[in-house]
Amino acid sequence: MPRLSSRPRAVLWGQYALGGGVALLAAAFVLYPVYFLLQAAFDVGDPDVRPPSAYGWDNFAALPDYSKILFNTLGVAFAATIMALVFGFLTAWILNRTDVPYRRTLEQAMAVPYYVTPLLGAFAWSLLGSPESGFINQIWRGLGGSDALIDITSPFGIAWVMALFEGAVAFVMIGAVMKSMDPSLEEASQVIGGGRWRTMLRITLPLVAPGVLGAAIYVFAEMLGSFSAALVLGTPARFYVLTTAIYQLVSQYPPRMSLAAAMGVSLFAVMFAMMYFYRRLMARGSYVTVSGKAFRPRVMQVGRLRWVLFGICVSYVVLAVVLPILTLFYASVQKLAVAFPRLSDLTFEHYREAMSMNAVRSAMGNSLLLGVSAATIGVLVTFLLAWIIHRSKMPGRGVLEYVVMFPQAVPRLVFAFGMMWAWLVFPLPIYGTLWLLLIAYVTVFLPLGVRTISGVMVQLDKSLDECGQVCGASWAYRMRTITMPLLRPGLLAAWLLLFIASVRELGASILLMGPQSKVLTPSIVEAWFASGSELTAAMALIQTAVIGLAMAVFTILTRRASQHKG
Amino acid sequence: MTDLPETPVIEVKDLRISYGSVATVGPVSFTVRAGQQLTLLGPSGCGKTTTLRAIAGLEQPSAGLIRIAGQTMYSSDQGINIPAEQRGLSMVFQSYAIWPHMTVFENVAYGLRVRRKSASEIREKVHAALDLVQMGGYAERSASQLSGGQQQRVALARACAFSPTVVLFDEPLSNLDAKLRGDMRIELRELQHRLGVTSVYVTHDLEEALAMSDQVIVMRGGHIEQTGKPGEIYNLPRTEFVADFVGSANLIRGKLRADLGGDGMIALQTESGEIVYGMEYGRAPGPEAVFSVRTVHLQVSATRPPGERNVWPVTIRRVVFLGDLTQLHVIWGGRELVVRRSALDGVAEGQQAFLTVDPRHCVLLE
Repeated sequence: MPRLSSRPRAVLWGQYALGGGVALLAAAFVLYPVYFLLQAAFDVGDPDVRPPSAYGWDNFAALPDYSKILFNTLGVAFAATIMALVFGFLTAWILNRTDVPYRRTLEQAMAVPYYVTPLLGAFAWSLLGSPESGFINQIWRGLGGSDALIDITSPFGIAWVMALFEGAVAFVMIGAVMKSMDPSLEEASQVIGGGRWRTMLRITLPLVAPGVLGAAIYVFAEMLGSFSAALVLGTPARFYVLTTAIYQLVSQYPPRMSLAAAMGVSLFAVMFAMMYFYRRLMARGSYVTVSGKAFRPRVMQVGRLRWVLFGICVSYVVLAVVLPILTLFYASVQKLAVAFPRLSDLTFEHYREAMSMNAVRSAMGNSLLLGVSAATIGVLVTFLLAWIIHRSKMPGRGVLEYVVMFPQAVPRLVFAFGMMWAWLVFPLPIYGTLWLLLIAYVTVFLPLGVRTISGVMVQLDKSLDECGQVCGASWAYRMRTITMPLLRPGLLAAWLLLFIASVRELGASILLMGPQSKVLTPSIVEAWFASGSELTAAMALIQTAVIGLAMAVFTILTRRASQHKG
Repeated sequence: MTDLPETPVIEVKDLRISYGSVATVGPVSFTVRAGQQLTLLGPSGCGKTTTLRAIAGLEQPSAGLIRIAGQTMYSSDQGINIPAEQRGLSMVFQSYAIWPHMTVFENVAYGLRVRRKSASEIREKVHAALDLVQMGGYAERSASQLSGGQQQRVALARACAFSPTVVLFDEPLSNLDAKLRGDMRIELRELQHRLGVTSVYVTHDLEEALAMSDQVIVMRGGHIEQTGKPGEIYNLPRTEFVADFVGSANLIRGKLRADLGGDGMIALQTESGEIVYGMEYGRAPGPEAVFSVRTVHLQVSATRPPGERNVWPVTIRRVVFLGDLTQLHVIWGGRELVVRRSALDGVAEGQQAFLTVDPRHCVLLE
């Protein structure tokens, strides 16, 4: 009998060794930097001695001296959240519940702002709305106005850019709630005599309220950790939020690591609490009232108003996509960007210069290499993690899910700070190399990958795998022949998401890239502060075009591959 | 061990399954002999599917023993738990679990490919299996283009293609419509006989269980209520639950009248005073006892039939036409009994009539 039991044990052991190995490695990559972040935050000894010679709360006690930064952060995040929710709710309602014309096209257009990064948006809106040289203000003065019409470098302006380019998630989340609401819940109210307004107030609003509140919390947490808009628009005018202040403290000379770490830990604590609250809210409220099925909600006949609503949606797309891209292009083809250029000042010189810059060329190559590697490794790792979390009976998988989703609650800049600190003392010489960036990308995008793959994995009928198991197929064989092929669309989508996210990553890259391992996005930011905005605009557009090209190639390749299979 | 002439192919002993601290199944013990079909019958949540999945190796028991073809698959005492893929069983799932990204051929060939059979053998066996379920012309069809009934046939072919000795069925017909289910029931039974496989079948459908099995186990709340041949389960239910779940039965309670009866026959006196004669079938009656009477065994007639022991006047309260049968609700001694019969002759609501039942059909429950 003991001989019989030895083989199956080995099978289970092999499967758990792989899964457990990946799980432990992922957990280590997440928790190791967090540990160093905490260590730095409580370090009150000699800043040049590591590990710290003394621990204490002094760094946190010093935070009230920076109350202005705290207020800036809260104010900007709050304003941006309100604006994002208004955009999100309005557009989600229009596209899901009214008979607005060209609804399908609009719905697709609403996804485009995601591909225009907040950084691009910040460049473009800076060109449009900076008080002195902004195009809008130049036009305003040209029309006889005085001073500046808008000031994009004001807190309100920064919040505006954040809301436009990072608030799309509000539209997605509120839209999902509206889509998944069973229309018979409202019909039941109307049939027993509730009028349109009563139904809306007593049925519709309470049903969507948890979803909207959830979106509000989620977006607010994201805004607290937002970096690029505040960096581009706020820093020149010495307007700091927590993330930009941390960056400033780390990159200035002499750096003030402990203070920066304390700020990072505080920010992360607040965001973690909000994410926790968000998850509790989602787990408790929304799934009870809103069933998982997808419905086509009843649409409201809005008559002539539909063209107004159409206009609202279109103007969002114009403000977040068309105008920024056009502005960047307009600026990039001028010697010196002005609102009314002379014909002789038009030039493609900046594109030529950008392409000839060694920094850009090596950075572009590095970014693409990192994007492909991080996406490929990331998909494999997150697939295994999603499988462990949702499909295995491995002990500790609940904890693993929390650990893996952890980076979501940490701004990438703060996380990278922990990594920098951690890998400086690690006995492997990867600090300042592309390897460190690769590890950083895979780690900070774990939640993105796991969420995308989990979404499709939980929809997969468990018996599809169990049937293969009863047929006698080993775990690896089933993965190869059943689970992976069935999840193919989800895995490809995750790959593309991870690739895009990696190539345009800023927060982590800006701290971790070394002089020999430049990547594109931080290089563009460097150009923005060091050279002209025209060159930066050209570089940003080149980056966007390269990402677009890569996406197109990827789509064509995968489509062709799937057609081949029949 | 047992006095059976051959050792059982499947042997389950004191099996217990629990989730966390909640015991959901057990202890459960039963055996299945070679070529026999055992059915686990019960309402949803009774633990029948969990038991089946434990045999397959998809669910880990907390205690007990599972042996298949003499080999120990699970034993809590010896610390053995062979994973599902090494148990050499086959299974048909409730959802069919047809892999949508493969052709019908590839679906059926899967078990053979896992066993590294040669290409020619695979082709031969897959086509044989598909012919068996009358799906021979569909081999190259994509599995996602099949109807429910076709998927079910492919699932069957896939389960049989690699000539397993044991096939497990998890409510395989429950997703088909009623007509198709009736046809498949007969086909499945024939198939099982032809292939000579040993099988365990899970269902909540009474007719399916009675029509398809050599042995039926009625389960409730994770425990076995009764084990027996289909006829025994139907005709001689042992508990109120089995009587009620396996076909509808009227339960008649009363006090034992020891002064009446004899020769295996006993008499109960109901609360309203009627004397009911029935058979004890080797069971020992207590002072309070219950008879189970199938609704189809009760007779209603307009005039008093002569020479019957159990005859009572009743009032017909309601007549419900069900198609094949007509269901009568009659008032008898202050309570309502249900009678089902095929005849439609002259009974009307409100009418007085006589209710009779052969004492052999009044079965004493334990």
